Amino acid sequence: MTDLALDIRAVSKRYAEHTAVDTLSLQVPRGTVYGLLGPNGAGKTTTIRMLLNIIAPDTGTITVLGLPSSERRATDRVGYLPEERGLYKKMKVRHVLRFLGELKGLTAKESDRRMEYWLERMTLKTAAKDWGNSAVDELSRGMQQKVQFIGTLLHDPDLVVLDEPFSGLDPINAQALKDTVVDLRARGKTVIFSTHLMENAERLCDSVCIIARGQKVLDGTVSAVKAEHGTRNVALSVAGGRDRVAPLLAKHGFVERVDDQNRFLELSLAREADPQALLRALVAEGVDVERFELVQPSLHQIFLEKVGATNVEPGMSGHG
Amino acid sequence: MVEFAKLRAVIKREYVERVRSKWFIIGTLFGPLLFIGMMVVPAMMTARNMRTVQTTDFRILDVTGTALGDRIATSLRERAENAPNRKAMGDSAPPVATTRVIKTTMAELAAAESLATQAVMAEETRGYLVLDSATLRTSAARYAGRNASSIAEMEQIEAALRTALLTERLAAAGVTGPRADSLTRTRANLATERITSRGRGGGSGIAGFIVGFAIAFLLYMMIVLYGQNIMRGVLDEKTTRVAEVVISSVSPDTLLAGKVIGVGAVGLTQQVVWMAFAGGASAYGLGAAAASGVNITLPQFTLFQGVTLALFFLLGFTFYAALFAAIGAMCSTQEETSQLLFPTTMPLIVTIMMVQPILTTPTSGLAQTMGLLPFSSPIIMPMLMSATQVPLWQVGAALLGLVVACIAMVWVSARIYRVGLLMTGKRPSMKELMRWIRYA
Repeated sequence: MTDLALDIRAVSKRYAEHTAVDTLSLQVPRGTVYGLLGPNGAGKTTTIRMLLNIIAPDTGTITVLGLPSSERRATDRVGYLPEERGLYKKMKVRHVLRFLGELKGLTAKESDRRMEYWLERMTLKTAAKDWGNSAVDELSRGMQQKVQFIGTLLHDPDLVVLDEPFSGLDPINAQALKDTVVDLRARGKTVIFSTHLMENAERLCDSVCIIARGQKVLDGTVSAVKAEHGTRNVALSVAGGRDRVAPLLAKHGFVERVDDQNRFLELSLAREADPQALLRALVAEGVDVERFELVQPSLHQIFLEKVGATNVEPGMSGHG
Repeated sequence: MVEFAKLRAVIKREYVERVRSKWFIIGTLFGPLLFIGMMVVPAMMTARNMRTVQTTDFRILDVTGTALGDRIATSLRERAENAPNRKAMGDSAPPVATTRVIKTTMAELAAAESLATQAVMAEETRGYLVLDSATLRTSAARYAGRNASSIAEMEQIEAALRTALLTERLAAAGVTGPRADSLTRTRANLATERITSRGRGGGSGIAGFIVGFAIAFLLYMMIVLYGQNIMRGVLDEKTTRVAEVVISSVSPDTLLAGKVIGVGAVGLTQQVVWMAFAGGASAYGLGAAAASGVNITLPQFTLFQGVTLALFFLLGFTFYAALFAAIGAMCSTQEETSQLLFPTTMPLIVTIMMVQPILTTPTSGLAQTMGLLPFSSPIIMPMLMSATQVPLWQVGAALLGLVVACIAMVWVSARIYRVGLLMTGKRPSMKELMRWIRYA
C-alpha cells in the first residue's frame, strides 16, 4: 500500500499526426481531490484513458493504487465517468447498473443490493415513482447522468476518475456531483477530475496539475500554486468605474496588468509596487473607493499566465 | 488474459437483452409461420394459376375425317371436370364454354381458318386447333389463339392430342372400348430412393433435396440476421458512447468474444425452438400422411451429421460475426454501415445463389469448391452432406479451412474493433485500417 493513488512517470503517447502526451509525470496522493487542468486538446483525456488501461502508453509507467495500470485488479478499483456519457438506451436502469457492477467484479446480487441505496440517494427512486424499472431512454438527460454517476460509484472505487464531469450538467446535478466528490474525499477516496473550467477546480481541488500540449506546465497543491504566484493582486472597485481610474493607474506605474471583471478590476501589481501606496494615491486623487482587497490570483489567471491564450489549439478536442 | 466472470456478464447481457426483446419473441414464434407461408403461398399461387387454365373454349378444325377432334374435346372436358385443384378449391361449377369441333375438308380449311381467326379476334373464342390430313401420320398439329403462350394450357392440349392420337391408332389396330381406355389412361409414378455407401435408407432424393435446401437457407438467415445484429450492437455502443465505460472495465477482446458467443447463443436458441416446431409438425404431418396411405421417409440424421452441422454453424457464424463486428467498429453512423454491408454480404449472397445449382448437381466441381471455401462452406457443406455422400476428407478439409479462416478473421477483427471502438468521425481509409491492424 503506497500513499500514492496514481503515479505517472514519463509517459508519452504519440499518434500519427501529433503527440498527445509528452513525457508527462504526475503524482496524486491518496485521499485528495486532484484537478487535471488544461485547454481542449491538451492531452487530458488521453492521460485518463491511459491510466484506465483503455489505451497503452508508448513509453513510461503508470501505477494505479500501487499496481501497474495494466492489471485488472487495479482498474477494478477505479470508477470512471467519461466525458462523452452514454448508456444502453433500451435497457432498464437496474439492468444497466447490474451489468456495470458485474463488469467491475461485483456479483449480480451485490450490484442489486447496492444500487437501491444510490437510486434513493439520487432521487431516482421515490415514494411517487421508481425509475429503476424504466428503460434508460425514458429518462430525462439529467436523470440519465445520475444513472451514470451511480454506475461509476457502484463498486465503491478507491479512485474515482471524472473526465469533464461538469460539462452539460444542470445546476442541480452539478451540486449533487460536487456533494458526492466532497463526500468521497471525506471517506478517504481519491478523486481525479479533468476540467477546463478553472472555477470548479479552484473550489474543489486540493491539488492541481496544469497541462498544455501534452506537457506539464505546473503542479502542486492549490494553496502552494497560488502562494508561488504571489499575493500581488488587488481587487478594486470604485465609483465611476474603470474610466475613472484608468489614467491614474497608468500614471503611477503601480500596475502591470488590469483585468476587468466587470464588477471589479483585478490589478496585478508591478514588482516593487506597494499596495498601501496605491491605496493612498487613489484616496489622494479623490477617488471614491468602494472595494480595495488584496487577493490571491485565481487559478484562471495563473492558467492564462502560464499557458497563454495563444497556447490553446483550436479544433483539437476529442483527444483532449 | 481471459476474464471469465466478466465474459459471462457480457454474454449474459447480450443474450438476455435480445431474448427478452419483443422482436425475438415475435420472430421465434411467427418465424415458422412465415417460413411455411413462403412455401405454401407459391404453391397456392400455382394452384390458382392451374385453376384458371382454360382449355375448353376453342375450336377444333378437324380434316382427318376421323373422331380425333371429338376425342380431344372429350378428353379436355374430362380433364377440366376432374382437375384435382378445382375440387380442392371448392369450385364445383362445370366449365361453361365448351370446345366446338368443326369437321371440314382440306379444300375448305383456309376459309375455316380465316373464319376462326376472326372469331378469336372478336373474342368469341380463345383459339383454334388445326388437325390436318397429315396429323394422324406425323402426330403434328397446329394451334393458334390468344392463349398460345400459356405453357400450362398448351401442355394440356398437347397431352389431349397425344392421348387422342394413341386411341385413334389403337382403334386402327382393332383395339377399342374399355381395353383402349385402360391402355391410354396409364399414369406413371416414379418413386426415388437415395443410395449411399452405407446402403439404402437415405430417404428419398426429393426429401434430401428439401432438407438440404432448408438447412442452407436456415444457416444463411441465421448468419445474415445475427451477424448484422452484432454489427448494430457494436455501432450502438459506439454512438451512445457506452463503449468507453465498458472497455475501462473489460478488455475489448473479452467484449468481442462475449458478443459473438452471446448473440450466437440467441441464434441457436431460435434454431432449437424452430427445430422443435419442425419436429412436431413433421411428426404430425408424417402421421397424417401415413394414415392416408402415403409413406414418406425423411433422411435419417446421424450423430455425426448433427455434430458437423453444429460445428459449421458455430464456425461460420463466428467468421461472419467477427467481420460484421469490425464493420460496426469502423463506422460511426448507420449510413456508413449500409454502404459497407453490400460488399460484406456479397460472398454470402453468391453462396445462396449457388445453392440451387449445387443441389441439382451435388457432385459437380462447383459444389465441391464452394463446399471447401471458408466463406461458403458453412452453408454449402452441411447441405451437401444431407443431399449426397461427401467423402470424409472433404468434410475435414472444409472444417479445417474454416477454423483457420476463423482464427485469422477474429484476429484481424479484434484489432480493428479495439481501435475503432473509440474512434469517431470519418471512416478509416484502407491505409489507416492497415495501421490499426498492425499497431493495435
